[in-house]
Amino acid sequence: MKPPVFEYRDPRSLDEALGLLNEYGDDSSILAGGQSLIPLLNLRLARPDYVIDINKVPGLDTIEVLPGCVRVGALTRIRRLERDPKIRAVAPALSDAFQNIAHPQIRSRTTIGGNISHADPSSELPGVLAAYDGRVQLTSSSGSRWVSWSDFFVTVFTTTRESNELLTAVEFPTDQNFSYEFEEIARRPGDYPLAGVCAGISLDGSQVRAARLSAIAIADRPIRMTAAESALVGVDISNAAVRQAASQAAAAEINPMDDEHGSAAFRRGLVSTLVKRTLDRLAGVPS
Amino acid sequence: MKSEIRTIAMTVNGEQVSVDVEVRALLSDVLRHDLRLTGTHVGCEHGVCGACTILVDGESARSCLILAVQADGSTIETVESLGSVSSLSALQEAFRENHGLQCGFCTSGILMSLCAAERHGEDLEETLGEVLGGHICRCTGYQNIRAAIEAHWAKSVTQ
Amino acid sequence: MTIETGVRRPYVGQNVLRSNDPKLLTGGGRFIDDLHFPDMLHATIVRSTLAHGTIEQFDAGAARAESDVALVLGPEEIAATTGLLPCVWLAPGQRMTHIPIASRKVSYVGQPIGIVVADSRAAAEDAVEILDITFAELPCVVDSEASIAPGAPLLVPEWGDNICAQVDAGDPRDEIEEVIARAAHVVERRLRIQRVAPNPMETRGLIARWDAADESLTVWMSTQTPHHCRDHLATALALRADQVRVIVGELGGGFGAKEHLYPDEVMVCLAAMRSGRPVKWVEDRVESLTATLHGRDAIHRARLALDADGKFLAIHSDILGNLGAHPSNVGLGPFRVSMGMLPGPYHFERAGGSLTAVLSNTTPTGAYRGFGMQEATWVRERLIDEAARELGLDVVELRLRNMIQPHELPFTTRTFQPYDSGDYPEAMRRTVVAARAEANVTSVGRIRRGLGFATHVEFTGLGDSRSQQIVGFSLGGYETAKVRVDPDGSVSVTSGVTGMGQGIETGFAQLAADHLGIGIERISVRLGDTASAPYSATGSIASRSMTVGGGAVVTAAGKVRDRMMAIAAHQLEISPNDLELVRDASGRDVFQPKGSPDISLTWEKVAESAWLNWNVPDEFNTIGLEETFVYNPASVSYAYATHAVSVAVDLDTGLVKLEGYWVTHDSGVMVNPMICDGQVLGGIAQGVGIALYEGMRWGETGQPTTTTYLDYVLPLSVDIPNVKIEHMVTPSPFIPGGMKGLGEGGTITSPAAVGNAIAAAVPEIAGLLLETPFSPSKLWTMIDEAGLHV
Repeated sequence: MKPPVFEYRDPRSLDEALGLLNEYGDDSSILAGGQSLIPLLNLRLARPDYVIDINKVPGLDTIEVLPGCVRVGALTRIRRLERDPKIRAVAPALSDAFQNIAHPQIRSRTTIGGNISHADPSSELPGVLAAYDGRVQLTSSSGSRWVSWSDFFVTVFTTTRESNELLTAVEFPTDQNFSYEFEEIARRPGDYPLAGVCAGISLDGSQVRAARLSAIAIADRPIRMTAAESALVGVDISNAAVRQAASQAAAAEINPMDDEHGSAAFRRGLVSTLVKRTLDRLAGVPS
Repeated sequence: MKSEIRTIAMTVNGEQVSVDVEVRALLSDVLRHDLRLTGTHVGCEHGVCGACTILVDGESARSCLILAVQADGSTIETVESLGSVSSLSALQEAFRENHGLQCGFCTSGILMSLCAAERHGEDLEETLGEVLGGHICRCTGYQNIRAAIEAHWAKSVTQ
Repeated sequence: MTIETGVRRPYVGQNVLRSNDPKLLTGGGRFIDDLHFPDMLHATIVRSTLAHGTIEQFDAGAARAESDVALVLGPEEIAATTGLLPCVWLAPGQRMTHIPIASRKVSYVGQPIGIVVADSRAAAEDAVEILDITFAELPCVVDSEASIAPGAPLLVPEWGDNICAQVDAGDPRDEIEEVIARAAHVVERRLRIQRVAPNPMETRGLIARWDAADESLTVWMSTQTPHHCRDHLATALALRADQVRVIVGELGGGFGAKEHLYPDEVMVCLAAMRSGRPVKWVEDRVESLTATLHGRDAIHRARLALDADGKFLAIHSDILGNLGAHPSNVGLGPFRVSMGMLPGPYHFERAGGSLTAVLSNTTPTGAYRGFGMQEATWVRERLIDEAARELGLDVVELRLRNMIQPHELPFTTRTFQPYDSGDYPEAMRRTVVAARAEANVTSVGRIRRGLGFATHVEFTGLGDSRSQQIVGFSLGGYETAKVRVDPDGSVSVTSGVTGMGQGIETGFAQLAADHLGIGIERISVRLGDTASAPYSATGSIASRSMTVGGGAVVTAAGKVRDRMMAIAAHQLEISPNDLELVRDASGRDVFQPKGSPDISLTWEKVAESAWLNWNVPDEFNTIGLEETFVYNPASVSYAYATHAVSVAVDLDTGLVKLEGYWVTHDSGVMVNPMICDGQVLGGIAQGVGIALYEGMRWGETGQPTTTTYLDYVLPLSVDIPNVKIEHMVTPSPFIPGGMKGLGEGGTITSPAAVGNAIAAAVPEIAGLLLETPFSPSKLWTMIDEAGLHV
């Protein structure tokens, strides 16, 4: 269980990194935190010709809490993000989600850019990005573009990032009218979740103005549960029957598959439970 | 096809070292087989078991999920940096007194995670939950590891 | 490796801190992969990627051409120069009794078929990728029920089926059926115990070095049984036993997985002999999950018959055991032990089992902590809970009503187990009182809570040799200890058992110090080197190191002490009866006449004169201070325990949380209670893994799907609550020192206790709780089908 032979490049600037991506593209893997890539190398399930280690590229490990959004540079480690008081102040559910990722010994290396661009459908952050209606910045030698989460994730381990592009930043909008809750069900803390839900609502008094509900580990990419969102708009969140109806709508609209970790019915049940639990908390009702 | 060799420099347990490594070499293997610091053990090589946990620039990390070339310029701490057989550190002593180890294979990684937690001022609850949660021990059933952590935190950390 | 002072005699019964902890805590342990030799090569084992088939071509030309590759051996070359490995525990009529080291026939994914040796492990793995191997694929079967179905693919076509052997145990079948037929109540269930992987944190590994001039092979190896491995290496490599030396350093856990020699380990030794250079091989985790023997994988169709008053009449199980691709070293052993231990601590008029053991295209199954006893306990204790539920009886009351009472011991069960000593009902009562007083069993909202119990009697301390002969287990059931006092008064203790993290070195030092009558700091315990340790066929398996090995240490130490006393008495010109060995005011161990503290001889002085052979009794016919004692126990010793566990089940997620755990355990005299607790705790965690998390799985084509720790789930700290352990101490009537084994008890009973607790928490699904592990998905589905999701 040792990595196969590859050529190693460690660019010292963004331009150099983008130049290497232009040159090697699909024959290369980008090494950021390495917590997904290196196990795959060790198991020889990944065998890139080139490993482009971007850890020495300066300027990519930024945290900016701006009016209306949290913008994070791709190389920022999750362990640093979860400890950041400014993020917790404006996006506590995001901080909670950070702490659900694996274990501290992994999060010390995991980068936000690597986590999101790996596009693991069981991964927390893509789902949170979906609920926040967030976006990612993709940069190539010819410039940068911002891509919304919904245009970014394609399927398992697949995104619309071109092979000459680097994910350079992630942006979580922080509309002050929205409150979010994140919860996942895993066998134990740190395990891959069996299902997870991020729920956000914007309230006018107790009336829901807008709702954003995303789910992870139930499809080939993070999804928004729009039927459940619609069911919530205009209703009184303090009404338990309304929250119950939303959770049932969520279970009905998703289309999970049977797999080794559980049946489709089980996954529906978990999502229903999670929607109910997160909405209960958003309504101020103890679970 | 041969793997490219690079010379890397690290500070390991307080000493400057320079070593030639294959670019594909894992940090765990370089520490163990090139530097002969065999106290760091390798249990799964895919980042789950935690036996290979060391400190990289003060943060706990899996040495099996880091290429040695990535550690160029880093400060590395391994179990060998703690106490010695004749003078165990307070944490090691707590493990001994509480029977917090049996075969001892996973222990080095746990000790290093706890070192990081102690330095970062993690409280007992977080240490028992989150920090110990990143380690598999097949022998002890964990109870005596928790007892060792509780004893050490009560005695040395909380004050 | 001595132990600090500060603890006073007697040491037995005290929590003496472990002698090797400082080394282990500072990273100074010497595990196999920690050893380096000059000029050493690194091996990778070539394994079958196919579940069933034949190798049509094994072309290593490209690999051999690589400059960093030293040697490649394929199946034919290996088979041509190696003998067969004998299975040491044979069942009557067993159709396969030996295992080839390599063959063109492959029967499971992970089967070793060749070896590549190169300058580094990575280079060896590179070379494996350029081997040109072609297989002719055959249809495969992985499940035991499928294996006996008509038309199943056959592993050995000439047999006509996949049945390796069929064995009965206990009372004659017709007598059991007669009792069951007249019973007022019969509870019958199909219970299944999944396939699990032992998962020592240190995988298997070895370094082999061939000395061509000496024609000797030295092997540093991670094994529980160095002599057994030496013997089988000699057999497989056509060497004399004295040409092979096996050395065990630290062992990063064994749990049964390292109790014999594996074919891939022979390949590494063969490669060292061929290359003339030391060869290291350390199993990686994927290999460990697929190529190290598994445990369990049994289906029981079991019946418990009761009369109208809830008295147990009979218990019987038809067992279908999955051997995997070939019988392991212990073959049908675990399934046979399940039959023998099925009655547990209860009375039955008749009891027994019928075993059908089958081959399948999976990793072979063998020894794993609990060895058939966990399965028997799962079956029996779930059946009893089911009987109580059906009859409306209390689960504890039903058990106590049927238990063997202390005054009935010794007691031979219907399956011929000679239970020795103890008080089974008392262990249950103590656990029940503690658990019922403390457990939270209040269900709140969607969280259900329940308290479950299970109990067992455990066969410990494999021996004696005659019993081994009766069951066809070709391993001597004795142990030998050698205790030597050197001229400077220091003491070395050696034994054929091995340390594998259980702390046996410390326990032996405690025994030796007490029975020599001196301070423990004088004693060093050295284990694991066949060149210096006394012969042990069986090694450290079957919870026997402290019982059989310890019994030998007790006796050997006593003999050395008697010798020292005789010399001192001779020199002081008094009778040994008038002499005592004491620690004087200045901390010296001294011999002195009783009541005359002013006259004394130091321990060192007596040791020195013994080795000078000066002033020793005339009747001495040997020189020196070394005693070797071979201890063949009169019988097996039987430990027992009752476990209780409280659980919370989330009806909405199927997640189970263990909230409390209580144990009353009797393993005879406890040499070191701290270590005893540690063994119980660690055992429980492995049992909880079986109950809730662990399990090997294969896909349709026989490909294992649980080959990493992302898929094979092991218990973490959060899964294991703090356990309250109470010990009872009923000394073994046979073992010098009174110890009984305790390495496996925790694992044996915990799955049944957890299963019964889930049943208590969610009685609506109790009748469905028959197959471990209880994953969230499985439980959620049962809860859903029971109509508990509204």
